[in-house]
Amino acid sequence: MSSQIDPVVRTARREALIVFGIWLTALTYSVSTCYVLGYNRPVSELKDPRLVFGFPEWVFWGIVVPWVSCSMISWIFAVVFVRDGELGEELEETDDELGLGG
Amino acid sequence: MSFLTKLRVTNRSLHKAFAKNRLVTRRACEEIVEQAARLFVLFEKLSRRAACSTKKTLARSDDGYVPAAQPRLLFSTGDSYMSLIPFSLLAASDSATSSSVGYGALFMLVLFILGSVWIGVLANRATQKGSFMKGFFLGNRGLGAWALALTATVQSGGTFMGFPSLVYTHGWIVALWIGSYMVVPITGFGILGKRLAQLSRRTEAITVPDLFRVRFGSPKLGLVASLFILLYLSFMMFAQFKAGAIVMKLAWPGSGVLAMSEDQEPFLLNEKSLERLTEDGVPASVVEKLTPLVGKGFRSAMELIEPVKAALTVDEFASFKEPIIKRGTQLDWLYIIGLLIFALTVVGYTLMGGFLAAVWTDLFQSVLMFFGVLILLFATLSQVGGLENATRKSLEHTGPGFVFGPGFDPKAAAATASATTTATPAAPVATHEFLPLSLAISFFVVWVWSGVGSPAGLVRVMASQNTQVIRKSIYLLSVYNLGIYLPLIVICISGRALIPNLPTSSSDEIVPRLAIMTTKDWPGGSLVAGLILAAPFGAVMSTVSSYLVVISSGLVRDIYQRFIRPQATPMELRKAAYTAMIFAGLISVVVNISPVQFLQAFIVFSATGAASTFLIPAVMACYWRRATVAGILCSMIGGASTVLTLYLLGILGIMPAQPFGQLTKFHPYYLLNVDPFLWGLLASGTLGVVVSLVTTPPDSKLVSKMFDAEQNV
Repeated sequence: MSSQIDPVVRTARREALIVFGIWLTALTYSVSTCYVLGYNRPVSELKDPRLVFGFPEWVFWGIVVPWVSCSMISWIFAVVFVRDGELGEELEETDDELGLGG
Repeated sequence: MSFLTKLRVTNRSLHKAFAKNRLVTRRACEEIVEQAARLFVLFEKLSRRAACSTKKTLARSDDGYVPAAQPRLLFSTGDSYMSLIPFSLLAASDSATSSSVGYGALFMLVLFILGSVWIGVLANRATQKGSFMKGFFLGNRGLGAWALALTATVQSGGTFMGFPSLVYTHGWIVALWIGSYMVVPITGFGILGKRLAQLSRRTEAITVPDLFRVRFGSPKLGLVASLFILLYLSFMMFAQFKAGAIVMKLAWPGSGVLAMSEDQEPFLLNEKSLERLTEDGVPASVVEKLTPLVGKGFRSAMELIEPVKAALTVDEFASFKEPIIKRGTQLDWLYIIGLLIFALTVVGYTLMGGFLAAVWTDLFQSVLMFFGVLILLFATLSQVGGLENATRKSLEHTGPGFVFGPGFDPKAAAATASATTTATPAAPVATHEFLPLSLAISFFVVWVWSGVGSPAGLVRVMASQNTQVIRKSIYLLSVYNLGIYLPLIVICISGRALIPNLPTSSSDEIVPRLAIMTTKDWPGGSLVAGLILAAPFGAVMSTVSSYLVVISSGLVRDIYQRFIRPQATPMELRKAAYTAMIFAGLISVVVNISPVQFLQAFIVFSATGAASTFLIPAVMACYWRRATVAGILCSMIGGASTVLTLYLLGILGIMPAQPFGQLTKFHPYYLLNVDPFLWGLLASGTLGVVVSLVTTPPDSKLVSKMFDAEQNV
C-alpha cells in the first residue's frame, strides 16, 4: 500500500470493510435466529404461536429487532464513523467533452 | 390532521428535497406546492359535490369493490387540469361503495402524468447550465441527500406489485425474504459510495463504462461494459413498458380489475368477463361451467379455447365460442392506447429533463408512497384490532405455514390446520417450500449486493454532490426502509385477516382492496385509495425513465462519441441524445405490441445478471491497485455467463425441477440450492483476482492517478 495514498481512498476502504462486517453480522444473526425460532417447529406450537407485540416470536427477534438496530447503527455509522473528504474537482471541460483517456 | 394538511406536509417535504439539490429555484418549488395544493382543494370540493349527486349504490361485495359508472367529461370548471378528468371520477368514492374504484386510480394516473411532465420542465431548466452531457446525463453531479437516498437503491417497481402479493400468499416468512433491506442503506452507500463518487470525478466519468474505460485506460473494456449495460437495461426496459401499458389499461374504469398486476396474460377470463358473458345472453349454466377457468391466463386465443372446449359440450362450444374469446381478450385497443400514452409521457418528460427528470419523478413517487403506506398501516391496524389479532386471525384463516418457517411435520400440521382453518389455505402444508434455509441466505446476499452493483444505482452515486450527501443518504434511507417494508408486511398480514379469501390469481389486489376498504369512510379517503392504486404506475414510470437515461447515455457517450464521431459538437450530441431516447422508446413500443412474457422473472434475471457482471469489477476498480484490464474483462464475462447458464439450465428443463422458489416457467437452476447470483459473484470474483494476478501489472502512473493524493500525482 502506498504511503501517499489519498485519504478518501483509505477511509472509504476502511468504511467498506466495516460495512461488510455489519452485513455479515446481520446475515448471521438474522437468518440463524429465524431458523432456530421459526423453522422446524414442533406440532404443539403450530396452533398457538408465541407472539411478541403481535409479531411471531421468530420475526420479532430475527427481523424486527435487528432491523431497528441496523437503522440505529446506520445512523451512528453515518454520523460518527464516516469521514468527510474532498472528492476532487473535475478539469475544465474541453470542447469535445471527451474527458480523460479518450 | 386532514388529508389536505397531510398533502401539504408531503409537498413541503418535496420542496425541501428539491431545494437541497440547489438546482431548482425557490420560486419553482413554490409553484409546485401551490399548484398541487390548488389541485387537491378543487378535487376535494368537486369530489364531495359530485358524491352528493351521484348516489348510485353499486356495492357488490363487502370489501368495497363496485362496478364502474359511465365516464362523462367535465369541461366547465375553467381549470385546465380538471377538464381532463372524467366527471364520475370526481365522485370517486368519498364512500367507496358509491362509485367506481377505477376512477380514483385513473385520477391518480393523470396526476402522476401531470406531475411528471411538470418535473420534466423543471429539470429541463436545471440542466440548462453547464455542459449538456453532464447536465442531461448526470445532473451536473448535483444530487442532494434526499434525491440520492430515495432514488438510488429503492426498488420501487416491485415494492408495491409483487411484494404485497407474496406476503398475502406466503405470510410472515416473507419478512425473512426481504429482511436484508435492513442493511441496504448502509451497504448501498457505504461500500462504494464515497470512493465511486471520487473516482468518477478523477476520471471525469459521466457513465459507468466511462469510469471503467478511464480507470483502466482501455477503450475495449469501456465498450464491453457498454454492451452489457445496453443488453440488460434494454430488456428490463422492454418489460417495464409492458407493465406501464397494462397498468394504464387496468386503471381504466370498468376494467373490472383492481390489481395493477404487471404480468397480465393477453387472454384471461375474470369475474367481469363472466358478467359480460351473461349480459351477452350466454346461459347461466354455460357461464357456471367457465367459473373454474377464472384467473387463469393464456398466451393465445388457441390456448384459451382448449380448456373452454373441455369444459363445455360440443353444442355449447359451437354456439358460444365467439363471445367467450371476445370477453376473454384482455390485451386489446385499450392496451395499445395505454402503451402509447405511457411511452409518450415517459419519453417526453425524460427528453425534457434527462437524468434529473428521472431522479425527481422517482423522488416524488417515493415520498408520496411513504406517506401512503403509513396512512394505510394506521387504517388497517385500526380495522383489524391490532397486530396480534391480525396474526392469530390469519393463522386461523390459513394454517401454520402462514406464521412459521418451513420444516414442520406436514401431516401433523394438516391436522392442526383443518381444525382451525375457516377459509382458503394460503401458505398451507405444501410440498413446494417458499424459503428453505439455503434460499434465505441467498436472498440476504441477492438484495444487498444486486443493489450495490446495479448500473443505474452506480450512476446515481456518481452524481452525488459531496461526501456529506452520501452520509446523510445512509440515515435517510434507513428511516425510509424501516417505514416502508415492515409496515407493508404488517399491512398485508392484516389484509389476510380482513380479506381472507382472495384467490391466488388476485392476490396482487390485496393492497388496493385494503386501501379502498379501510379509507371508505374517511373524508378524502378516495385520494389515499387512488394513491395506492396508482402507485405501481408511478414506480414503473420512474424506473423506465432512469433506464432511458442510462441507455441513451450508453449509446451517445460510450458508442457515438467514443467510436463514431469523437469530434461531435455539443449540438450534435444533444440531437444524438434525443434521437437515441426516441429510438429506445419506439423499439420498446414495437416490441410490446406483442407483449413479452414472464415479466417479473425476467426483471429479476436482468437485475441479478447486471449485478453479477458489474459488482466485483466495480469493487476492484475502486479498491484494488493490482486489478488489470484482462482481470476485469474476465470478471465481467465470467459473472454474466454463469448466471445465464444457470438460468438456461432451469428454463430449458435440462436439470430436474426443484421443490422451492417462486412458481414460474422462467426460473433458474439453483445449483446446490443456492441462487445463481451467488455463483455469478463467485465466478466473477475468482476470475477477476486470478487473471489480474497472472497478467502484467497495470501502468503505475495510471494507478497512482486513481489512488494517490492529487498533490503527489
